[in-house]
Amino acid sequence: MRTLTRRSSLRLAAASLAAVAFAIGPAAADDAAEAYVQGILDEAAPVLSNSDHEAMLDGIEGIVDKYVDMRRIGRFVLGQYARQMTEAQEAEYYPLFERYAKMIYRKTLADYAGGKIVVTGSVDRSERDIIVNSKLANPEPGSAFANTVIHWRVYRDRDGGQTVVDAGADNVWLAIEQRSQFSSIIANNGGGEKGVAALIAELRTRVNS
Amino acid sequence: MRVFAFIAASCLALTGAANAQITGTGDAEDLAAEIEASSAAASVPEADPWEGFNRKMFALNDGLDRNVMVPAAKAYRAVTHKKQRKGVRNFLANLRTPVVLVNDLLQGEFGRAGDTLGRFVINSTIGFGGMGDPAERLGIAQHSEDFGQTLAVWGVNSGPYLVLPFLGPTTVRDGFGSAVDMTADPAFWITTDPATYYRLSRGGMNVISGREPLLEPLDSIRADSLDYYASIRSFYLQSRKREITNGRTNFEDLPDIGDFEEFDELD
Repeated sequence: MRTLTRRSSLRLAAASLAAVAFAIGPAAADDAAEAYVQGILDEAAPVLSNSDHEAMLDGIEGIVDKYVDMRRIGRFVLGQYARQMTEAQEAEYYPLFERYAKMIYRKTLADYAGGKIVVTGSVDRSERDIIVNSKLANPEPGSAFANTVIHWRVYRDRDGGQTVVDAGADNVWLAIEQRSQFSSIIANNGGGEKGVAALIAELRTRVNS
Repeated sequence: MRVFAFIAASCLALTGAANAQITGTGDAEDLAAEIEASSAAASVPEADPWEGFNRKMFALNDGLDRNVMVPAAKAYRAVTHKKQRKGVRNFLANLRTPVVLVNDLLQGEFGRAGDTLGRFVINSTIGFGGMGDPAERLGIAQHSEDFGQTLAVWGVNSGPYLVLPFLGPTTVRDGFGSAVDMTADPAFWITTDPATYYRLSRGGMNVISGREPLLEPLDSIRADSLDYYASIRSFYLQSRKREITNGRTNFEDLPDIGDFEEFDELD
């Protein structure tokens, strides 16, 4: 169980009371998060239909910049090693991670070129951690992706501000896969500072290649 | 994410049970057992105590993949049309009916067992021996089951992640399940030469037909990964969990994206 501040505990208590009162299940939908993601997808639609491939990729990057919280993801994918970095390593790692993750997002989202994605529902893991589901609005007939559920994980800060912290399809998540890679590289290179140094070196070669 | 969808749909292909399938939405029945099974397996995320052995086997399989399977899949693509390949996939999936049916029943999924049987009858007849998929158009979507999934539903934990030579990523439970599934196939029990020939050619066709749609996705994962082995391990374990719950999602056991308090200090 994650630790909660007094304020969010209170809010959570109030929410549970409300849930009991209205007999809502524990995994309720979250309208605000759904609207937030639909807004992003609406903004992405014209970008994805841009016939100039490079312009489309840059457009995607712009949207990722605006809505995806790279710092939070960068920390998540380090797992237990996030606390073992030196300050110098942190200063080097985060910008590198951001470039790497953007590269992946660009490629992944470009697969939906020409498509329109619409929100289909949401599930809240907590009031600050919401999964929003979406799918292609008009898949080509017989497309293998007609039934693919595209997930967006929305993080809500204390002031209600929302960001995207992970994306996935059919229950396979990007950041979780990255964490598997990153912690594996760190562990296999001696862990701790030394392992982190190896990861940073890998990232550097990758984004500069 | 198209890459994801491909991987998710075809990790089974990599383990030799080549038949890509798409998640059905499924009806919300009593899932307690299934979800419990999957979250129990997830309580220690990606435990990989045999990583040393697994990496060696993975390297072996990867070499085989690059030198044999990829060229074969490319050649297959070059000499066939997209529609023909779809027909082959349908045909091979139809042949897997006995295995899927037995496991539907063992899991107590009688509705899905009915789907499996109905699909077999429809596709084997008006679907030209299984090449077409008229059942899909009639609203009976394809799904897959295997004994590994049945064991999971029965509450057996996955055990450690395991990479088998030639067969690819699996877990102890699912590797055992694959062996059991072989025996659920009628062809397994016939030992005449034609039957052996049939089994081998069908097995080879399963591998090539399963590898072909993965040519680009796996290339791209290989190119973008910092650690290809760890990437595939995560893709396999994540999508396997999805298979076991028949796509009925349970987001509760996802890891938290960081400790919220700690992150709040960053803001």
